[in-house]
Amino acid sequence: MIKTILVIEDEILIQQSLKKLLERKGFSVDVSASGKQAITMILGHNYDRIICDLMLQDISGFDVIEESKKKYSVEEIGQKFVIMTAYNSPQVLSKASSYNCKLLNKPFDNLEEAIRLMTV
Amino acid sequence: MENKYNPNDKKNAQSLTVFMENSILEFLNERKVSLTHLIFQSKDAAELVLLKKNDRLWVQFSNGEFCDFPFYEKNITFLLSKYRSLDSDPSPSAESLESFTRTVEIIQKKIFSSISLNPNDNVKDLWDEIIKKTNTISHESHSLRSLVEKILDVPFLQSFESSLIYFHLKGQTKAEMIGTRWRGENVNNFLEVKEFNSFFNSIKKSKIKTFNSGDFPKINLPFNGCFLAKEILSKKFSLIAITSRHDFLPYSEKEISLFETCIDLLEPHFDRLIDQEFSDQKISDLRICLKDFPLPLRVRDQQTGTMFINDLFRSELQEKDIFYNKKISGPFSLDLYDSDELRHYAFDLFHFQRISLLGELLNTLRHELSNPLFGLKLGAQIFNTLETKDDDRMIMLEIEKNVNRCQQIIENFSNLYQIQTDKKSTNLKQMIDESLLLSKSETRQLSKHVNYQNDSNQLDLNVPQIFVVQILFNLIINAAQAMRTQDTRRELWIDVDCDESFATVIVSDNGPGISDEKISQIFKPFFTTKSQGTGLGLVLSRNLALKMDGNLEFIKNDSQGAKFKLSLPI
Repeated sequence: MIKTILVIEDEILIQQSLKKLLERKGFSVDVSASGKQAITMILGHNYDRIICDLMLQDISGFDVIEESKKKYSVEEIGQKFVIMTAYNSPQVLSKASSYNCKLLNKPFDNLEEAIRLMTV
Repeated sequence: MENKYNPNDKKNAQSLTVFMENSILEFLNERKVSLTHLIFQSKDAAELVLLKKNDRLWVQFSNGEFCDFPFYEKNITFLLSKYRSLDSDPSPSAESLESFTRTVEIIQKKIFSSISLNPNDNVKDLWDEIIKKTNTISHESHSLRSLVEKILDVPFLQSFESSLIYFHLKGQTKAEMIGTRWRGENVNNFLEVKEFNSFFNSIKKSKIKTFNSGDFPKINLPFNGCFLAKEILSKKFSLIAITSRHDFLPYSEKEISLFETCIDLLEPHFDRLIDQEFSDQKISDLRICLKDFPLPLRVRDQQTGTMFINDLFRSELQEKDIFYNKKISGPFSLDLYDSDELRHYAFDLFHFQRISLLGELLNTLRHELSNPLFGLKLGAQIFNTLETKDDDRMIMLEIEKNVNRCQQIIENFSNLYQIQTDKKSTNLKQMIDESLLLSKSETRQLSKHVNYQNDSNQLDLNVPQIFVVQILFNLIINAAQAMRTQDTRRELWIDVDCDESFATVIVSDNGPGISDEKISQIFKPFFTTKSQGTGLGLVLSRNLALKMDGNLEFIKNDSQGAKFKLSLPI
């Protein structure tokens, strides 16, 4: 059962909108605009779900996932992480699928659908 | 001459007293050859005196004997090591002197006997003959191939049938083989670098330097049998020289040694010819490229002054038009010839440059804008799900709608520029709609009438969408700008029709039109009636139309306004 969610997104408008949206659905949401800060948060807390943008200002979302391997098994990573990206090039897609986690394309075609994917 | 090398004063059983010219010492030091067993002495006191003269190593033994070799590290180290191993007596006695003399003899034999097939031959003469022959063939050879062929003319290689080289120039993706077999049949082949390298290493590692063609199944040698091979590694290339009698009889030590000496002697010539051949190759490649280059031009080599001109330049020169020089820095100077033809190509280049720049720009914009737009949309959507007042909700809906529109515009632009020149079946009506949408702000005050005849609104054309949209966009903008200051009602008509072979799009307006004297000018570059115009719009448009096997023409009409007809093949 998912209760706590971390949203890693450097576009503040998107970050805050998602936070608000998810909070209204009853989840407890933390946010981070920086990848490095997010890593500290992931290692220090136990989030049920981590929604991660790929293009961050400091490091890439893939780096965040790699660092999280210190704490989580490959299997757990596939379950915990949801990757968000606007650059759905074949390279990105194949790399994302290698982690076995869910992938969300920005902009979302259907908001409700996207929220459902983030929270189940 | 003083020897600057730090002398090793510990004389041991393995030591050898030598005098070396500094140039030899430097040569060995550069190659990190170990010199620890040598004791450096003055010229008079040394057992062995090494001098370098004309790229040859001159060796004087303490008994007064004298000989010379090609100047190679291998020769020097071989000589030194032979001395060390045999001259084991620490204090020179009568006995050791005798052994010393023996050493000299052995070395001399080793070097000279190998090239003497007949023991009665005068060794020195034979040596001279080989040097002379290699010298002649290297001077007679003006190409790599002829040098390789002529190796078979060297005395004692005359019973051989094949001479080949495999060589790989650093940085090239393939190694090449050239040579001759059965004395006269040219052979040429290419080899993967990986295969070449493993071949090269096998040759290099081998001590006997004699091989069997069956040992190298991947090389595809042009003969069967035993062969001699010798490798050369230089800064610019690696090379394997091969010669074979096409039989399975083993080679004698003499033949092996002779072949090695011969290739050693030829090394600088391989170097020179490979260098020459590949700069020739570069120039001839350049000529081929420039022959059909779509601009008239001539190229001058600034060093030699030789010049070549391409066909277009030649024909332009005959027509005696205006001429200007455009110098481009570098080893060549490039002269471009001014003409209509040149202008035509220059505009094409200009056009494609502009398009590709735009494409890049749009791509960046799309990526950079999509995130903030998405944020806006998301924010608006969330506010709308809150319990907001109806008029607030309206504003949020409007924000969302506008974001969608922005995204759509970016998308449309990207699609337009993405396909570049791809020919793709595209709906004509869709292209016209696209052009109208793009020119929306310029044509705001115009009343637009689009008429399709003969089901031309269903027509799909096999032309690059971007070309058509660009032409129509140009025509529409021209019309709109011509009517800008017009007080009367401004109208734009787009009449589309088709027959069996062509679709026609006629764009007309009720603006001031084009005066008779200007009509002949409008398709010339840089002609413009607008203060801000480049004078390129119509030229580019016509070029694009011609590229699609269509045409763009001005249609004279009795009524007011200008009328252009774009025809496109079906």
